[in-house]
Order: sequence, then structure tokens, then C-alpha cells
Amino acid sequence: MNLLTDPVGASHFMAVGAVMFVCGVVCMATKRNGLGILMGIELVINGANLNFVAFGSEFLRRNPDYALGVDGQLIALFVIVLAAAEAAVALAIALNYYNNRATIDVDRADELKG
Amino acid sequence: MGFHEQIDALIDDTQRSLALFGPELALCGTIILLLLCRLVIGDRLSSTLVAFAGTVVGLVAALFSWSQVAGTSQEAFTGMLVIDSFTIYFRIFLLAFAVLFVVFTWRSGIPDREDAADFYTLALGSLLGMCLMVAANHLLMVFMAFEMASVPSYVLAGILKGRRKSSEAALKFAVYGAGAAGIMLYGISLIAGVTGTVHLPSIGASLANTMAADPSSSVLWVLGLGGLMVMVGLAFKLSAVPFHFWAPDVFEGAAAEVGGFLSVASKAAAIALLVRVAIGFGFVQEASAWVDAEDQSVVQTTNGVDQTSIASASGETTSQIFIAARIQDGNSASGQNSQDVQTTGADHQQGTDQQDTDQQSGDQQGTDQQGADQQTELTQPDESQLSPEQQAAEAERLAEEARALGIAQRREAQEVANESLGPVRTYISYLVGFLAAITCTFGNMAAYGQSNIKRLLAYSTIAHAGYMMFAVAGAIPSIGTSTTLAQDHISALAVYVAVYLFMNFTAFAIIAFLRNQTGSEEISSYAGLIRTSPGLAVCFSLLLMSLIGLPPLAGFAAKLLVFSALADSGLWVLLIVGALNTVISLFYYLRVIKAMCLDVPEEGQQVAVFPIWKNIDGWFIFLLTLPVVVLGLFWGPLREWALAACSQLLS
Repeated sequence: MNLLTDPVGASHFMAVGAVMFVCGVVCMATKRNGLGILMGIELVINGANLNFVAFGSEFLRRNPDYALGVDGQLIALFVIVLAAAEAAVALAIALNYYNNRATIDVDRADELKG
Repeated sequence: MGFHEQIDALIDDTQRSLALFGPELALCGTIILLLLCRLVIGDRLSSTLVAFAGTVVGLVAALFSWSQVAGTSQEAFTGMLVIDSFTIYFRIFLLAFAVLFVVFTWRSGIPDREDAADFYTLALGSLLGMCLMVAANHLLMVFMAFEMASVPSYVLAGILKGRRKSSEAALKFAVYGAGAAGIMLYGISLIAGVTGTVHLPSIGASLANTMAADPSSSVLWVLGLGGLMVMVGLAFKLSAVPFHFWAPDVFEGAAAEVGGFLSVASKAAAIALLVRVAIGFGFVQEASAWVDAEDQSVVQTTNGVDQTSIASASGETTSQIFIAARIQDGNSASGQNSQDVQTTGADHQQGTDQQDTDQQSGDQQGTDQQGADQQTELTQPDESQLSPEQQAAEAERLAEEARALGIAQRREAQEVANESLGPVRTYISYLVGFLAAITCTFGNMAAYGQSNIKRLLAYSTIAHAGYMMFAVAGAIPSIGTSTTLAQDHISALAVYVAVYLFMNFTAFAIIAFLRNQTGSEEISSYAGLIRTSPGLAVCFSLLLMSLIGLPPLAGFAAKLLVFSALADSGLWVLLIVGALNTVISLFYYLRVIKAMCLDVPEEGQQVAVFPIWKNIDGWFIFLLTLPVVVLGLFWGPLREWALAACSQLLS
């Protein structure tokens, strides 16, 4: 199949989601700044969220029986809330770390090792 | 189904579910009380007291629900959670841990007066998430419970204010945890998309369809990838290699209390979730209980009370058709037979359906009679001149027959579907087994060179996660073939988790109490402990020997059960790896015992004095060490309880 000529379906959304996922993982793996890593995590979560919304719609699936229906959209909503909660906590922890160390460079978090 | 009926069904379901949700509600109530008390009453009412009372109420509710739910496994909140004896076993376990944890933190004094409310709010919030993890029956619930358990524990790791190490531990934990959760969520989205459902038991059914239609379908690659990603999240929670990096750092940087919390409660919930997910993927249940119940109740309400038997027969036939169709899809070997039954099933279904519409059309006089007539006419046209009583009896007999046929048919369909899931189970078993083997080996190897006791126990925790995963790897292959064998293996895991609570939690309690006296958590600071506080040294030695798995302590019984499960399922490689690891672990645990009993303290070194009989702390340690010895000698009752806990899995 050719994504450029086919009518828009779940595959197109999945492609965008996959690109976001990979960007997020690369961001998580390469950033030295703690906040940069958190941004990468947001990208991964939103990539997954896009999948959920696309899978939820029966118009996008070739076989409508396999659509998640309202489940997909509800999961996306819950995930948005959870991601916000997680980001709030992670930012607070990053701030606490900055207070103690005057840096948020994760490469310098090396007091605990062994 | 009309809007009002839907709302009514939803209200009924919520009321029924809330009755099963007692322990979690107690935890929620305690959290709210903790926050409100500080606002309204201030410092006069101790937060510790509120937390203690709340967890005790929760534990009592959990113990009460054990007898309440006996016999059946029920889905709660429209299929989001499943409440069966396995859930309740782990719930009791988690809440008992919560009570012990509150007592322990009250004595060790890590949450100071100002922090206590926050500390207990976070700990109980995390426990609430763990209770949900254990009961998860829906992929959304899997992720939500995972996050509910994780997010408060990130904060708990950094609860020691103004300490550089503590804040570093919290940052590492939060970053790793959030990353693992994100990857897990992406895996969940792939699985949900491919199987077309998010309800765990239905995933098994959908997977069986896919496997039966085309065992080499390219869709399975996506599923395998999704499964790997979900495993990333679970492995992080279990601190399994290669997602274990956080464990030693967090355990060393955070307070020993938090270490105990993470190593026992968090791990138990994660392993229970692993069992749930593995069963969801590798096992087909008879039929979805929620859909079935809904179906029946609707037919009953429209038909009136006296038609109950027919109504339930129609409920049976619907699922029968569902499964018969699945058989046809999957396996043509029993095709002829199933087709026959399918057509009779369809007849029944048609009969009751028509009857429903007739009654709803508002034909007031003698509708019941007419309905019964139609039922008999459709199935047995010759006997229309029989009296109403005979007709009713006949209808009942037919319904009975249809039900018996349906049950037999279902069982066969279930077996066929489960057979086609064989490769899925093999995949999960190999994946979990492989992770378990490297986790166990790595944990034991890395523990060898540690000088900090918390770091040593962190690696020991990693190794024990490996042993627990051995039990899961041993249970999965027999899930679809022999239910009793699988239950037996999972009950070995349940025993292991219960024993692990006493061993590891008490070890962390001892570390915390000794830290309060000497301010050190180095193994070398335990030198000479046998002379100043012999009781404590003996207790600690017993716990460490139990962690090794030496007879006659509880750790030995637990390990024996797990290893015999491995031998039963023929996973000899894992058995050998486990046995070798037990030998390796001997050395580093014994090194701690040697430091306590043989080493002479350096000059000027402060040695802790901790009498075991004189104060509450001593008694607390003693009473928690006692089960480690007792359970090693008499583990029969615990084993039986664990078997009862697993008896409703896979049924």
C-alpha cells in the first residue's frame, strides 16, 4: 500500500504517532537536560494518544469491528490527565533537584552509583 | 436498549461494584481525612493515628470481602476491574503491609510532625494504585493503576528534604519511571489497535481468532512488539534487568522506610499485574461476564419474572453462537457438529427475540401465555395442544437441554481457542523466563561488591524479582492446557510474595532502627552487633538466611515451591539458573552476618545498642521475624490459602 495515494485511514495516524514516538525516545536518550527528557516523555505519550484516537474511530479502520469506539477516545482523555499529573510531579522533583544542586544536568547526577 | 435502561443498568452495576470496593474506599477516605484533618484540626490529631485507623479499617474490609466474594469472580465497574479471590488475596496482603508500614514509620520517625500527613497521603495513594493494579481487567486500568502507584512513589523517594542524594534518587526514579510508562502506553495502544479491544479477557479471545485464522499473520509482529513494550513497563516496576538501573540508586538515596515500601508492596502489585496481563493474553475465558449479565437482565425485565428460565436460555445461546462462530473460524475439525448446534441455538434465539418484540408491541391480554405458546410452537410444533403447565414444563426442559448443550459446546470451543493460543503463551513464557534468568543472575552478581546495606538489599530485591518471575514463567505454559497445574504454580508465587513481605520488610525495619542510632548504613558499621544487641543480630541473621533460602526458614519453603513449579513445567534451564543463583547469593548475605557476628568494631566506632525485649521497636522486629521461622516449619496453611486464592483464576 502507498500512504500517499490511499485515502486517510488509521495507518496514516499510526505513522504520525510512530514518528512522534521515535522522536520522543531519541529525545529521552540524548538530552542531558532533565526538562528535555520530560519533553521527550510527553512526545511518546502523545504519540500513543494519537494512536488511541485513531483506533477509536470506526471510519478510519478497514474492518470497523476492530474499532475501539468510545473506549479509544476515553483512554486518550484519561491519558492526558495522567500525563499532566506526572509532568507536575516530575517538574517539582526537578525543581527540588535544582535547589540542592544548582543544575538539572542529568549527567551530573552521579553521586549514587555502584 | 433504551437510554433509561442503560442508565438503570449502569446505576445497578455501580452499586454492585461499590459494595465490592470497600478496602479501596477506606483508603480513599483515609487520604481525604488526612488532608482535611490538617486543615481543620491542625496538629492536635496525629496524622499517624488517622493513617493507622484508616488502614486497619481497610484491612478489616479486605478480610471481610474474602468471605463475601467466595465462589465467583466478578467484574466490577462495567468490566474495568475484576474482583476474584486472587485480587482479594493481594489486597489483604497490601493492606496488611500498609498497617505494618504505618506502625513502622511511627516508630522510626522518618515522617516528622510536619511531613506526616503528606507522607501518609502519598504512601496510601500509591497503595490505592497498587490495589487497582492487582484487580486490573482493562488496558486503561492497567496504565492508570500503574501511574497511580508510580507517581506518589517518585515523591516518596525524595521525601528527605535538603539531602542531595535523596533529590537525585527522586529525579532518577521519576525520569526512568515516566519513560517506562510512556513506552508501556505506546505498547498498549498497539495491542489495543490490533486486537480491537481493551478488555483483557476479550483480548485473549480476539488473539485466538487471529492466531486460528492465520498463525503467521504479519499482525502478530505488531502484537509481539506491543507485548515487548508493555513488558518494559512491567519490568521497570519489578526492577527487572535491563530496567533495574533505578533500583539501587533509589534505595540508597531514599529513606530505608521508602525502600521497604518499594521493594515489598510495589513489587507484589507488579508481579500480580504481570500474572493478570499474561492470563489476559494467553487464555480464553468462556464468555465475557459483563455482556452476558447485561443481556440476561434486559431480557428478564422485558419478559417478566415467570419467563426467567427461557431468558437465561437465550443468554446462553447468544454466547453459544458467538463461540460456535469462533470455532468455525478457527478449526474446521469439529465444524459439522458446531454448525448443527449453531442452528439450534439460532432457533432458540429467534424464538425468544420474536417473543420479546411481541410483548413490547403492547398486546396486553395474555401476553405471557402467548409468548409461551410461541416458544413451544417454534421448537416443537406438534405439542401445541398441551395444557399451560405442561407447556411450561416442556419449555423449561428445552431450556435446560439447550443450556447443557451450550455448556458442553462452550467448553469445547474454549479448548480449541486455547490450543490456538499456544504460541502466544510460549512467547510470553520465554520472554518472562529470559528476563527472570538475567535479572536473577545480574542482581546476585552485582550485590556481591556492595558496602552499603541498602544498596546490597536493592540488588537482592532485583534478584528476588527474578525468582518471582521464574514462577510466572513456569505457570504460563500450563495456563491453557491444565488449569489446576497453572493455579498450583501461581499459588507458589502467592506464597513467595507473602513470605517476602516478612523477610524483606523486617530487614529494612532493622536498617532504619540501626540508622536512627548510629546514623550509618554501611555494612562495616554493624561490626560487633552480636555483643551489644544479640537479639537483634540473631533476628537479622535469620532474615538474611531466609532471604538466601536456607531450611528450615520460610524463604526455603517459598523457593522450594517456585522451583518445583519450574520442574513441573519442564523448564530445566531456569531451574539450574535459579539453583546456581541461590549458591551465589549465599556469599553476600553471609558477609553481612559475618560483619555482625565476627568482625571487631574499629576504635571509636559507635555500635548500636538495641535490646529486643525492652521496647516496642524490639518487639516489632521480633514479632515480624517470628513468621519467617514459623512459616518455614508450618507452611501448609499459607499454601492452602494461596491455592484458594488462585482457584478462581482461569475458570
